[in-house]
Amino acid sequence: MAETKKTKKETAAKKEVKKQAAPVKIKEKQQPRIGVFACHCGTNIAGSIDIEALQAAAAKIPNVAYVDNYQYMCSTPGQKKIEDAIKEHNLTGIVVAACSPRLHEPTFRTATKEGGLNPFRFEMANIREQNAWVHMHDHEGATEKAIDAVRIAVAKAALLEDLIPKKVPVEKAAMVVGAGIAGMQAALDLANAGIKTYLIEKEPSIGGRMSQLDKTFPTLDCSQCILTPKMVDVGRNENIDLMTYSEVDAVEGYIGNFDVTIRKKARGVLTPKEAEGRGLVGGGCNGCGDCEAVCPVIKPNLFEVNMKPRKAIYINHPQVVPLIYTIDFDSCVKCGLCVTACGDKKAIDLEMEDELIKVKVGTAILATGYDLFPIEKKDEWGYNKYENVVTSLEFERLICASGPTGGHLVRPSDGVTPKKVAFLLCSGSRDNTGVGKPYCSRFCCMYSIKHAHQIIEKIPGVKPYLFYMDIRAFGKAYEEFYYRIQDEGARFIRGRVANILEDPVTKNLTVMADDTLLDRPMKLDVDMVVLATAVQPTTGVDTVRKMFGVSNSMDGWMLEAHPKLNPCGTTTAGVYLAGVCQGPKDIPDTVAQAEGAASAASIPIHMGAVELEPYFAMCIEEKCAGCGMCVNLCPYSALALVEKDGRKVMQVTEAKCKGCGTCGGFCPGGAIWMQHFATPQIVAQIDAFLLGGEQ
Amino acid sequence: MARTKGYPAPLEEKLKDTRLYSDEENPQFTKTVEKISMTIPHMCYQCGTCTASCPSAPRSSYRIRKFVRRALLGLEMEALNDPDLWLCTTCYSCTDRCPRDIAPTDVIMAMRNLAFKRDIVPVNFLKTVTAIYSSGHGVPNNDVNRAAREKLGLPRDPPTTHGYPEFIKGIQYILDYYELKKNADRIIKEREG
Ligand SMILES: Cc1cc2nc3c(=O)[nH]c(=O)nc-3n(C[C@H](O)[C@H](O)[C@H](O)COP(=O)(O)OP(=O)(O)OC[C@H]3O[C@@H](n4cnc5c(N)ncnc54)[C@H](O)[C@@H]3O)c2cc1C
Ligand code: SF4
Ligand code: SF4
Repeated sequence: MAETKKTKKETAAKKEVKKQAAPVKIKEKQQPRIGVFACHCGTNIAGSIDIEALQAAAAKIPNVAYVDNYQYMCSTPGQKKIEDAIKEHNLTGIVVAACSPRLHEPTFRTATKEGGLNPFRFEMANIREQNAWVHMHDHEGATEKAIDAVRIAVAKAALLEDLIPKKVPVEKAAMVVGAGIAGMQAALDLANAGIKTYLIEKEPSIGGRMSQLDKTFPTLDCSQCILTPKMVDVGRNENIDLMTYSEVDAVEGYIGNFDVTIRKKARGVLTPKEAEGRGLVGGGCNGCGDCEAVCPVIKPNLFEVNMKPRKAIYINHPQVVPLIYTIDFDSCVKCGLCVTACGDKKAIDLEMEDELIKVKVGTAILATGYDLFPIEKKDEWGYNKYENVVTSLEFERLICASGPTGGHLVRPSDGVTPKKVAFLLCSGSRDNTGVGKPYCSRFCCMYSIKHAHQIIEKIPGVKPYLFYMDIRAFGKAYEEFYYRIQDEGARFIRGRVANILEDPVTKNLTVMADDTLLDRPMKLDVDMVVLATAVQPTTGVDTVRKMFGVSNSMDGWMLEAHPKLNPCGTTTAGVYLAGVCQGPKDIPDTVAQAEGAASAASIPIHMGAVELEPYFAMCIEEKCAGCGMCVNLCPYSALALVEKDGRKVMQVTEAKCKGCGTCGGFCPGGAIWMQHFATPQIVAQIDAFLLGGEQ
Repeated sequence: MARTKGYPAPLEEKLKDTRLYSDEENPQFTKTVEKISMTIPHMCYQCGTCTASCPSAPRSSYRIRKFVRRALLGLEMEALNDPDLWLCTTCYSCTDRCPRDIAPTDVIMAMRNLAFKRDIVPVNFLKTVTAIYSSGHGVPNNDVNRAAREKLGLPRDPPTTHGYPEFIKGIQYILDYYELKKNADRIIKEREG
């Protein structure tokens, strides 16, 4: 391929470098020799862009010493081309025009390194996502744009410098936030891999939503029976430091070194260990419940979805882990009756205050789960207006043997066993009106089928009617479960319920729907309606999400690093996701993702050290006026003013700097050098674009 | 002679070939309906919320969901030739509830406009045009109504064109401008002689 003449007139870009301050480190000047490689990506790129024209144009760009193209640059032969060209043509920088750097920057950096160059001498031109795919019907325009992109990348590549990533040690501990089945499983995996794990749960007990369920599809195992042993394991595991009734208060640091402050909320009751710490040997809560018996304050029990009372001092259910009572200080009247009842155990401290605990962890997993969508907002179904319209979670408690009715499904209005029950699937899901959720909540089809089975099993002569749009029975053994329950007598009606009417006297309900398969509107009188309610991220979870620097997707769920290839990771290194907090999923999928997240989170810990991308800000001290304005601007508190040679200058804590460039863009004196995104490099790119190739 | 095999309706109707041929579709129809209605019938997932909300559906063969489907598939003549098109009361209940945020009522209105352009319109609708032209009302006041109004302590005639007949001229101007009256008269004459 064409060796380009190096005698070309200097570009404006290079003039710009001279105008700029001397770079921080003086380097021997070397005439840049850039190699450009264009990727076809099969027809992904070559289908829209004329690769030959691109290559011919690239060969004419100043400083380009070598050009080539290949079907798949990311393949082994593609990478080999880069390595060989560096050696044979004495290249100083590499440009690959291909896909997004999010996908293959690491690949080509490695190839650059294998060829003997510093990996940061590589620059990528995205001609796929930002070009070929969006300009599929404009070949000429796309090719022209690709030439621009390559020229811009070459301009930068000519000014790239050697950078050495910093290695930082990784704290041999992890944190899991949220102790539903996802958080519990992740914590158990980490702990069993020998990693000290802090498991933070905001509620007094672990278990999450799964502990509220009666049976689980498609196998119909009792939820508590399969969950409780795991809860006990979590409570006993030596490597798990379980902190219930606790929340994350602040997070500082970065992968390998997160400093997390945890707020241990005052629960008013001492564990035996805490009691021992206070010198009360043999004291502390043993879960006997004597306190609860005497407490005069009665409140609705949230665990039972407000269908049962609880005292101001309470446990959610008999199998809680840890088995420690909690005082709800918002309703406690501090009468002291419980203190007397507790007696010698001296477990109750009515003056207890929140405690802040600091821990250091190397990696963290978020597993904060979900809440139900407030379905009363869908006015037409009358939730909260009609007594016999309940949510699916209320149904779980009503059908559960340990629930408020001892497992007898009854109508809230009169306590009578219903004989005709309508289940409304997609209640608030798959809804684009703005009131409701556009996504599918993914487990409601299957649990509604399960609910139909549960009533058929318990109530002789009962008739379940399932109003559905599509039955999504995608999991292993799910379709078979659907078959089985239809065979048991569940009636499936393909139509979404338009509205529900209530008889004000009998409190019976009339369900209006279109049997779309018969093409006939129908009106069905039932005793009870169960809304398979949409789910949404746990209320208030945005605070903890932002503390860990995790984004959310359009639908509000936490955003994974890549929906297919990195479903447990996030864009913050060292932070991972597990369970429904990343998007609705049933228990099998939740557990699978939790195990994936635990594995991902253990890798940096087992490696012992991680490399930080060397994109730090650096202070050009001769130019720094010590004004300190950047210090306040930095969102990561990475900057400080320090005394040096009798004057104040800015100093960067490299491990804290994320290279966002806020300070560099602002500094009035141009005293901040952003490595890899330095002003001269960016100016060269802009110039290369504006000049449009005209010399 | 129609064969009936003892059924009340002629069998020819039942046995006629009704498979959906793709050449019956007119993709332009979908686009035209969307343009006039300013809504998105092509996003319908056939849940039936509209039909179930419709006060006309349980009292007739009118199925709003079917019309949205025809809009989606571009089944132009099937939609425009179906007399059920004229059974919507424009109560907008379906539009209130459609989970895909479609306005089925406006789909119906668009189709009625397109049907009218082809003279496919029931005579009673045209007679309504005539009534509006002469009185300003689709259903003009009558003595029974006047008596009822008096009983309620209301003036015998409402403060509309009945109370202010001088405004009828304006209404006539509008109907003339769009040639609605002219077309209605023409079609009625063609049909009724
Ligand atoms: C009615 C119903 C029936 C269902 N039936 C089945 C079934 O039969 N089979 C099946 O496979 N799936 C079923 N599911 C789905 C199942 O509930 C979920 O898959 C599972 O609970 C998800 O677990 P998770 O750990 O991700 O979330 P969760 O169970 O919601 O756990 C999240 C935990 O994080 C805690 N938390 C939240 N925010 C914070 C914070 N900021 N700080 C600390 N802790 C926090 C919460 O208190 C909670 O303990 C059903 C769901 C519903 C609604
Ligand atoms: S309510 Fe909307 S989505 Fe459902 S069938 Fe009617 S038009 Fe289609
Ligand atoms: S507006 Fe028409 S389609 Fe909609 S509910 Fe009323 S009558 Fe039915």
